[in-house]
Amino acid sequence: MPRWGMVIDLLKCIGCYGCQTSCKAENATPPGVTLARVEVTEVGTYPNVTRVNLPLLCMQCNNPPCEQVCPTKATQQREDGIVYVDEEKCIGCKYCMIACPYGARYFVEEKRGYFGDQGLTPYEEVGYEEQRKGVVLKCDYCRHRIDAGLAKGLTPGVDREATPACVINCMAKARFFGDLDDPNSEVAHLVARAQAFQLNPEFGTNPNTHYLPAGRSIVSTEPPTKPPQKE
Amino acid sequence: MLTVEKANAGVPANGKSDRWIPSSCSLCYGNCSILAHNVDGVLTKIEGNPESACGEGRLCAKGVSGIMTLYDPNRVNAPLKRTNPKKGIGIDPGWVEVSWEEALDIAVKKLKEVYEHDPGELFLQGTTTCASEMHCGLFTFAEAFGANAVWVGGGGIHCGSGAHQIGGLMHASWSLVPDFKFCNYAIYFGASKGHSAGHVANQNAQLAADARARGMKMVVVDPMCNFAAGKGNEWVPIRVGTDAALALAMANVLVNELGIYDQHYLKQCTNAAYLVKEDGHYLRDAATNKPLVWDETGGSAKTFDTAPVDGMALLGTFSVNGVKVQPGFQILKEHLKKYTPEYSSGITTIGAANIRRLAREFGEAARVGSTIMIDGEEFPYRPAAAIYFRGSQGHKNSTWNCVAIDLLNHLVGSADNVGGALGFNPVCHGHPETGRPYYAPEPTPDGLMITGTWMHPHKPFPANDAAAPTTIGMREFFPWAMTSPFYGAADREKWWNRFDIKRRPKAMINFGANAIMSVGNKDVVADAFKDVFIISFDIFKNEMTDFADLVLPDTCYLERLFPSPNYPFIFNHPGSMGNWSWPIRQPVVKAVGQRRDFLRVMYEIGYRMGLLEHINDAYNTHFELKDPYRLKPDVKYEFEEIVDSALKNFFGAAHGLEWFKENGVMNWPKKAEEVYWRSRTPVRVPVYFEIFKTTGEQVREVAKEFGIENDLNYNAYQTLPDWNPCPSHECKDPEYDLISFYYRDTVHTNSLTLENPWLDEAAQMNDYSYNIAVNAATARKKGLKDGDMVWVESNYKRRVKGKLKMTEGIHPEGVAVASLAGHWSNDMPIAKGKGVFYNELIEVDYEHLDPGNLNMDLCAKVRIYKA
Repeated sequence: MPRWGMVIDLLKCIGCYGCQTSCKAENATPPGVTLARVEVTEVGTYPNVTRVNLPLLCMQCNNPPCEQVCPTKATQQREDGIVYVDEEKCIGCKYCMIACPYGARYFVEEKRGYFGDQGLTPYEEVGYEEQRKGVVLKCDYCRHRIDAGLAKGLTPGVDREATPACVINCMAKARFFGDLDDPNSEVAHLVARAQAFQLNPEFGTNPNTHYLPAGRSIVSTEPPTKPPQKE
Repeated sequence: MLTVEKANAGVPANGKSDRWIPSSCSLCYGNCSILAHNVDGVLTKIEGNPESACGEGRLCAKGVSGIMTLYDPNRVNAPLKRTNPKKGIGIDPGWVEVSWEEALDIAVKKLKEVYEHDPGELFLQGTTTCASEMHCGLFTFAEAFGANAVWVGGGGIHCGSGAHQIGGLMHASWSLVPDFKFCNYAIYFGASKGHSAGHVANQNAQLAADARARGMKMVVVDPMCNFAAGKGNEWVPIRVGTDAALALAMANVLVNELGIYDQHYLKQCTNAAYLVKEDGHYLRDAATNKPLVWDETGGSAKTFDTAPVDGMALLGTFSVNGVKVQPGFQILKEHLKKYTPEYSSGITTIGAANIRRLAREFGEAARVGSTIMIDGEEFPYRPAAAIYFRGSQGHKNSTWNCVAIDLLNHLVGSADNVGGALGFNPVCHGHPETGRPYYAPEPTPDGLMITGTWMHPHKPFPANDAAAPTTIGMREFFPWAMTSPFYGAADREKWWNRFDIKRRPKAMINFGANAIMSVGNKDVVADAFKDVFIISFDIFKNEMTDFADLVLPDTCYLERLFPSPNYPFIFNHPGSMGNWSWPIRQPVVKAVGQRRDFLRVMYEIGYRMGLLEHINDAYNTHFELKDPYRLKPDVKYEFEEIVDSALKNFFGAAHGLEWFKENGVMNWPKKAEEVYWRSRTPVRVPVYFEIFKTTGEQVREVAKEFGIENDLNYNAYQTLPDWNPCPSHECKDPEYDLISFYYRDTVHTNSLTLENPWLDEAAQMNDYSYNIAVNAATARKKGLKDGDMVWVESNYKRRVKGKLKMTEGIHPEGVAVASLAGHWSNDMPIAKGKGVFYNELIEVDYEHLDPGNLNMDLCAKVRIYKA
């Protein structure tokens, strides 16, 4: 049984928001729900400063606290490591949202489109068709793509059709996907690197989503030989 | 790999129609190839097409969000006629719906009136967002009509004459990019190539990321630690608009302190050895009129094309038939001495030691003299690149800012050599079966390079001789301008009167541009348009539409057919090795409402005006049609027939529209000599700009005739680059202590995508997109804090309001705003009120233009205070 995992190389990520919007396009999530998202922050003080782009999604923890608190077993972890919500069982109690230390869960209160009172677009009519309101949504590594791909004999992380939407769309190719338990997979090789890390290991959740560091040193710029001149 | 064939294999179990349709994006001019998922007539997903080199299966945030532009309920769905004759910002046009027949009658009647009176009174305006269709539709019509006044929204006049003109002159290309696969040291000046900029966004992002991972050092000179600087190894904060001073100091260090320059390259590929007389002009051969060089092997002057390359003198003073001459490089070398690092430090605020270090790092990284084998052939290897773009070029000193930065590449011989600064695909030898499309740079009689292809009919070089202007754009008088901002300038009447130009713009055809927002201060631009009859093709009623007399509901890119969304191969292929890809654009859903395609409507209008022969002829030129695919003068074609002819013309009878509809994209491999053409092509570029001096002398003569000789700025007509200040550097009022500038946000294209709710959502989650970025220490000194609403006010007393974002990542004197936000149209409800309308601060007049190429100065001297 594989254990699906993702590696995001922060050195390569340029903070384009392509993961966020391609996730939206793939999963037809309603306004305010960003199962994949990007946080852009700056580090340092002028002039020794840099930007950090941190793409976030469900960490797909090996010890998912969200699963443990779910009273209806709507949140479940599959044998392949994917944590998902069975919307049929979800009662919208939001315990999981409190339990998730990564802020990766979203409550959908009502079926509302991006154009508000102007109604749903034809895309939203189709995309929201199977979604329920009053439930919690989260990233499940596009398990529909993985499962459909596997059924066709494809390999997630290698074949586009079987790979999460955010991964295949990443313009900088900063995202990698595959079986962490396969020592020959690309993700296993990347995770084996000394610099690879999980977000907040102190939470003890042991995520299957890993990161590679932005990996650049901030070069100190010396002060000007003359102070900036008043014009 | 998901291919069209595989994706469409098998019948869907639910009996729904289910197709992946190959087409092309057009939410910026990059035109990446897409696969659109149509399920039962509804577009459910857009992905990149992995079979095309244009995007290679990836899309930016905009590309995947096109669904929400297609299905925006605020789209225009029927032709609209204005009923309120009064025009102005905030004035309701009083739209009433009319039939297409009535709309076409109105358009044709007005255009005929103008055509019969004076075709020069028609003014055409287009958007860079749909660059290919814009160039086809507007330029073919302009050609047929005999119109000469065309401008490109804001995109064109903000960078078309600066960055792209110099790109054309020096690289036969629209723009520059590091040869990411081989480059070891890239220094960016106000550029973000490879960090989500529109040019080849997807592939360049990957190439740049791979280069960083490989260890390419990236130094980013920019007032803001933004998309590129945030990923660079080093951010060099610079005072806004002073890039040329840094580049010239680096050039000075290379040439005069370190002695690092590529003599062979300068002799073979530039005019550095051309002998220059004391009057600044070339010494020419009496018999052939060709420029002469000094041949050190023979000790005599020879024409540039007969002297042995490595025997040419770059330095020294010579006497030829009693005339004292020096090689252009000798004059350049002397000229650069003024730009000591200490001198430039005072201008740029960058330390002198730092400037010396950057020059040394760049020069050493270039490995002058080294070679590399590519595809079994030896090429010069110069893994260092200096890249300019939007930021550094958008100033009054536009020409020289670009030249000064690019000069670094030509000094070390890295221009279009392996690892260096590449133009975007200036050479294409065509598909192996047809040899089409074919283009390559060619030399003038003086040996200088003429680009083989261009977006506009008029190439960037050679420039026409300066002459008294008669057109409303007055480009006859400004021959280096690729486009003219005078149509919307505050001092347009003064200039027209100076030259006794009686014509005035009477009618405008607008294709999707929102010039009220995209050019400069809205009141100035609005004043220019209020008396013009405007026929506007739009997908939304935006701020420009408020000035229209007739609105024609356009299809968007997902509802349109077009044979060559990526041709010329300027915006969409990476500069380096790989494939050529020629995709088409085709409708991925049926257009709803009464939307009609701009190109078909323009063809119909041309036909109804009796211009069929001219329109067909213009199409023959535009698509380079050869027999048997040339359009006949007297046949009215269906647009599909024109598309089919264009495709077969390039790729043979078996590869017409039907083939492309099914297959989506034609691929073939690039050759090494196409990519690294510089050392293989007998063309030179100037490092001594006699060409500008010549124009300047002509301009002065014409100016004399009109008594305005002393009213002009001749800075752009020197022979060598300088840093010249912007008005913002010259403002002495101490109250105005900061310099504002805009940048292009990664999630938005021009003003259009502000209406896309997915992109708006992303922008709202970003701390910078919709806010005013100011250095944290500067803000604290002014008693301001994060989140305060502030006014940014220019020394011309124009002001804009927005939320303050305190940041450590900006020069202490800088104020940065993401461009083209702050819509006020009620018909774009997602966009309305989001972000800051930066262009309000931009003056549109001669004083704020590059005096040579007319590129606009986009910075302003400002103060900020609490709102």
